[in-house]
Amino acid sequence: MIEQAPALIVIIPLLAALLLIPATPLGPRFAYGLLVTALAATLAAALATLNLVMVANEAVHYRMGDWLPPHGIELVIDHLSGVVLVLVSGCALLTAIYSRQSAEQDNPDRLNQYYALFALLVTGLLGMTATGDVFNLYVLLEISALSSYGLLARGRGPAYYATFKYLVVGTIGACFYLLGVGYIYIMTGSLNMADLAEILSRPELQESMSVKIGFTLIIIGVWIKMALFPLHAWMPNAYSKAGTTTACLVAPLMTKVSIYIMIRLMFSVFSVDYVFGVIPWHHLVSWLAVAAIVVGSLTALAQQDLRKMLAYIIVAEVGYMVGGAWLANEAGLTGAIYHILSDALMTLCLFMAVGAIIYRTGKSSAAAMEGLFAKMPITAAVFVLGWFSIIGIPPTCGFFSKWYLISGGIEAGHWAYVAALLFSSLINAVIFFRLIEIAYFGNFATHDGHHAAPARNEAPFTMLLPMVVTAALLIMVGLYTSEIITALVGKAIPPGL
Amino acid sequence: MKRLTLIILAACALIMLLAASDLPDWADPASPASSHLSPGFVEQAYEATHTPNVVTAVLADYRGYDTMFETVVVFLAALIIMIILRRTPHRRFCKILPHRPQRQGRDTVLKGAAQLIIPVMQVFALYVLGHGHYSPGGGFQGGVIFGASFILLALCYNLEFTINRFRERIVLLCCAGGALLYAGVGALCLAMGWNFLGYAALAGILGVSEAMARSHGILLVEVGVGITVMAVMVSIYYDLASGGDMREGL
Repeated sequence: MIEQAPALIVIIPLLAALLLIPATPLGPRFAYGLLVTALAATLAAALATLNLVMVANEAVHYRMGDWLPPHGIELVIDHLSGVVLVLVSGCALLTAIYSRQSAEQDNPDRLNQYYALFALLVTGLLGMTATGDVFNLYVLLEISALSSYGLLARGRGPAYYATFKYLVVGTIGACFYLLGVGYIYIMTGSLNMADLAEILSRPELQESMSVKIGFTLIIIGVWIKMALFPLHAWMPNAYSKAGTTTACLVAPLMTKVSIYIMIRLMFSVFSVDYVFGVIPWHHLVSWLAVAAIVVGSLTALAQQDLRKMLAYIIVAEVGYMVGGAWLANEAGLTGAIYHILSDALMTLCLFMAVGAIIYRTGKSSAAAMEGLFAKMPITAAVFVLGWFSIIGIPPTCGFFSKWYLISGGIEAGHWAYVAALLFSSLINAVIFFRLIEIAYFGNFATHDGHHAAPARNEAPFTMLLPMVVTAALLIMVGLYTSEIITALVGKAIPPGL
Repeated sequence: MKRLTLIILAACALIMLLAASDLPDWADPASPASSHLSPGFVEQAYEATHTPNVVTAVLADYRGYDTMFETVVVFLAALIIMIILRRTPHRRFCKILPHRPQRQGRDTVLKGAAQLIIPVMQVFALYVLGHGHYSPGGGFQGGVIFGASFILLALCYNLEFTINRFRERIVLLCCAGGALLYAGVGALCLAMGWNFLGYAALAGILGVSEAMARSHGILLVEVGVGITVMAVMVSIYYDLASGGDMREGL
């Protein structure tokens, strides 16, 4: 049974989503239980697969329908995708536990259908990570994109309009990807990633203009999906208008999985030599990343809404990872991959904390932070810890990933990227102190500093538990950085970098 | 802004033309797309799956994993439209469409025509679905024809008449049920000790050869696709025609 684990990672959430629809009469408790159980089983399957990969010390292949790879579809799970699978299923499980109150509050009438969308989004993300076929990746990209449109449209107020914009931009991104895959297919006749890599290494295809343009279109498509500056305009509005649970699920995972896809396509379908030797525009990307970091950080500084602020910080973080991956050295890519892990955890942590604040106060502006340490001490501690990681204070994992990214930047001699990273940390620290000031001393504009301490009103237990676990994971991952790097991330670095 | 759009469009067109420069010729038998994998499909598909229509064999068996998710995409479309549009009971009285045609369905000609056409349509839909192994057809096409027969019923009579015969709850169950049948067949193969969607696992249950079991497996998943597509067509029509409140409409 253990060799079936790679397929189970994708199938369990899919079956859960399909079963949630006929299970509607059984009530919200059953739906919640089914979702949490299914995602726990998914996490177990992901851990078992990662264990298989680590024991064998090579990629695990799974043939769908028992067909040999270039004709059939295969799942390929190596060290990189194994880590991302565990990350995605773990974050999804934490969010599912967290959703007990907020999902019911946001969807009193259609909880089962909401949860079905939730499970399908997780299916899409896991499937994209596990697959070894570029067209299958597109199909699952569609699944995750469609279900995220549905989830985001369930948000409050102008969510429909923000989601509609996302739908248009996201569809354009998917089209770019599909068009690129089309060109590659015409030139190679294959869709399997390993087969493609072999065919594309032939000298006549290395110089082919169609393949170069196919690569460019695919990468642009993925950039639109991950909201890399200047293709990020859809993202902050869509994320900040979303329901609490939706934001916790979509914000940390969608962009990170897109980054994973970019790295996978760059180094598993194409090669280090191709990307950094043949593609003429590869050195421009790190400048795009610098622009993303600077613009994202500065815009975040100008925001009043907590979630919009976080969304712009994600724009900057996407810049970190894209820059690291395109620095063309080992430290940079290590930092980028490790940052997928740490950034998913810290954005999850912060979105959960902000979600709890919104749940209790009903406000999402910075003013909701007022008196936070007295009202919600645990949430406040989690919030502070998450923000420490965003700034990059040891021993949180944010410090270590940033360390690798900066050393990658120094190694490549890309001083603007290093400066942008430090600048972004500084801005994050400024935002942090501004929020802490509001939390401790209240908003000076409305108060004169003399008011009774507000009563304690902590978030409910099902919200606190995943928050505390995530915050603990931030420190744990930080403390075990060297083990994670040598055992997992280091093995994911392609040879020749 | 409009000028910028034009510039971007022109740049895209230029890139497409550049990319077309070294693409293989139309219908070139030596092109990679027709020389790399296709011969393998053409030569082996019949022997391995006992399905004369190679397209069906590739769609539902070799790449059945993709097709399963395409079915889920169709299901998602209905689910999302429902979750966005369909009214909740306590908000029933806020109308989206203020001017809505009142249809009593008294038109004898329309009703008579519908009575003649609909049964034929439904039988034909089943034929298209079942005949996918031999000719163009299969679950997607058959499901669309079947779904269209219900829409025709709603157009010629009225929405309420159709909903009374095909309740919204059943429609939703069919939407999920078809995809569930597909994934369930795959999971059954997995439970029998083969890989997910390895229909050859059904040979033991059905008492036929492995290639024939693959053929039967293809039929089973095509039925699943057909159910989902049919129900999704009907569900989307219900939602859009009544503005989401399921009472009246076209």
